[in-house]
Amino acid sequence: MAAATVATTLAACGGGDSGGGGGGGDSAENEASDIGITEDSIKLGAHYPLTGVAAPGYSEIPTGVQAYFDFVNANGGVNGRDIEFVYRDDAYNPTNTSQVVNQLVLEDEVFAIMSGLGTPTHNAVTDFLNSEGVPDLFVSSGSRLWDDPEEKPYTFGWQPDYEIEGKIIGQYVAENFPDAKVGLFLQGDDFGEDGAAGARQYLEDQIVAEETYVPGNTDVRPQISALQAAGADFVLGFNVPSYTALSQLTALQLGYAPQWFYSNVGSDPVLVGSLLARFSEGAVSDASLLDGVLTTEYIPGVDNPDNEWTQLWQRVWEESGQEGELTNYRAYGMSQAYTMVQALQSAGQNPTRDDLVAAVEQAGSEWEGPGFSPFRYSEDVHAGYSGMLVSRLLGEGSEELTPVLVTDNGDAEITEAENEPASPPESGIPDEEPIN
Amino acid sequence: MQQFVNLTLGGVITGAVYAAFALALVLIWRSTRIVNFAQGAMGALTTFIALSLIEGGQSYWVGLVVALLAGLVIGAVIERVVIRPVEGGPELNAVIVTLGLFIAIQALISVLFGVNQRAFVAPFSTIGFKAGDFTLALSPNTLFTLGAVLLVMVGLTALFRFTRVGLAMRASAFGQEVARLLGVRVGRMLTLGWALAAVVGSLAGMLIAAEVTFVAPTFMDALIVFGFVAAVLGGLDSPIGAVVGGLLLGLALSYVRGYLGDELVGLAALVVLVVVLLVRPGGLFSTTQTRRA
Repeated sequence: MAAATVATTLAACGGGDSGGGGGGGDSAENEASDIGITEDSIKLGAHYPLTGVAAPGYSEIPTGVQAYFDFVNANGGVNGRDIEFVYRDDAYNPTNTSQVVNQLVLEDEVFAIMSGLGTPTHNAVTDFLNSEGVPDLFVSSGSRLWDDPEEKPYTFGWQPDYEIEGKIIGQYVAENFPDAKVGLFLQGDDFGEDGAAGARQYLEDQIVAEETYVPGNTDVRPQISALQAAGADFVLGFNVPSYTALSQLTALQLGYAPQWFYSNVGSDPVLVGSLLARFSEGAVSDASLLDGVLTTEYIPGVDNPDNEWTQLWQRVWEESGQEGELTNYRAYGMSQAYTMVQALQSAGQNPTRDDLVAAVEQAGSEWEGPGFSPFRYSEDVHAGYSGMLVSRLLGEGSEELTPVLVTDNGDAEITEAENEPASPPESGIPDEEPIN
Repeated sequence: MQQFVNLTLGGVITGAVYAAFALALVLIWRSTRIVNFAQGAMGALTTFIALSLIEGGQSYWVGLVVALLAGLVIGAVIERVVIRPVEGGPELNAVIVTLGLFIAIQALISVLFGVNQRAFVAPFSTIGFKAGDFTLALSPNTLFTLGAVLLVMVGLTALFRFTRVGLAMRASAFGQEVARLLGVRVGRMLTLGWALAAVVGSLAGMLIAAEVTFVAPTFMDALIVFGFVAAVLGGLDSPIGAVVGGLLLGLALSYVRGYLGDELVGLAALVVLVVVLLVRPGGLFSTTQTRRA
């Protein structure tokens, strides 16, 4: 207590330049209220695959997060504090993830972990983070593992989980392709399993084959042959982008041309297109191999250039001066960073780690942001966005086929979203009231 | 039926790819009695050299020739500089050195060429031939792969069986002292063995890259295991054995993938390996019984 008082006094002597962006500063001074927070900085940590098979695309996410935090810092930070973002490479290997998250928590002493990427990778660290009491916000994976407030009170999901995505896709296919014979092409982990479970709620009678692949095995001829042999004329894929490219090329080689539907994860047209581009010069005749492919969306990306959020991300990206162009992965990172800033603002001027968790639980479902649907956060639910829409890819853009559909896990009904799409604030920075 | 045909054809193709890799392992084993764990990384390095040329506008064939030449040079240099100091010591030393090389070369590829996946376009069309109204999993490019592997197999068999150089290489590998007494330049033979094995490894890298479509610095890793199993199946000593072992393994794994599940592939390869080693410890094509005495 005495130490805290001294710190406050020193801060006051230092000129008391608090304020800047963010709401609710009042007259109180900034304090070093918990690990990773000082009077003028907040340290956040993350892990991503920056090298290895999962790196293409995903390694761009932290550049987007960084760009948005730079933008916020340049405009006064959160309650006068600059956000310091430390991210480390785990090469999508859970053993490495444990190691780098240990480093982030114990050596770098971050206030919270955000945006940790991958199901097997992040699952290796949730026990550690929860036992240390480190907020583990907005995991970059649609697994349902993050929604477990009893066992993992500090962990929160962010994107719509694979099961509700499967349900929304399943209902769309059942309504719009009632005669299709559906084949499932699944990654052999809970990404594929959850997605299939959701889709089966609506498509059980239409599914004629289910094939899985193990990431790393690059030969999918046997699986695609099996789908073809089963007579599937509609293939629904819960797979990562490189397997979208592989399945397209393999199907072409086997003379197999079903209607394709790739879930959100596997459908990034820019990344898949860049993998396929070189083939258009040779054996493959058509550059836009993905034209007409169906997919889902839950945040605006570069394929919606007229969207106000995309325009904000474009501005943020240009101001950050980093190399390369705005991509959907960078837009994803910025969207997460935007939610993170909302969480920090809601947690109050001098938050503890528990205040941050309470802020997401109490205020999270009210936050308006780039997402098409509201968050599901509450004290009992740590799952993220509640819905998405179905769209069709055209070149590097897309056209929307349904309104935003929202639902929940289990047999919850699918309904149209009631919220109006939010516009970004003039400043480009959220302004949430603190919860206490 | 269509599925069975395509699984069989697909198995033959992946088998040929495993065989290409196994051939390089066999060659280095025959000429130096070392199992080279760096083989995959060396092949990946030369493949990336070729890929950079191809992306820079050169034809596939220029890339292929450069890859093979680069393999020749790299193999010889590695033998002279890295392996020579540990040759003659316990066999394990050289094997551990190749493990270290594997990691170092893979890191070098990442430094030179980046870590992202890149597309590798096959030299011939990969669109399957049509039989009636169904498409076979057999394309001009897979014929090229098969042909190249068979050619290497025949060439290596002829080299070891019919030429003086081949005989000298085998002699150097088996008994350095005796070979030296008989006038064989043992050092040169060991260098030649490494250089030739690296050429075959480079060819394997180029063929494998075209089959797996997308390459990253680690793209040969998965194949090291299967290529090694194929080589052991064939007895580790026989080029024909390596090819037959590769094809058998490719077929077995393709059926497992198509009818049982992708997640069982690693297990299936292990089962095949254990069964073969239990029944025929020297491999399917072992002829070493008399030599061992």
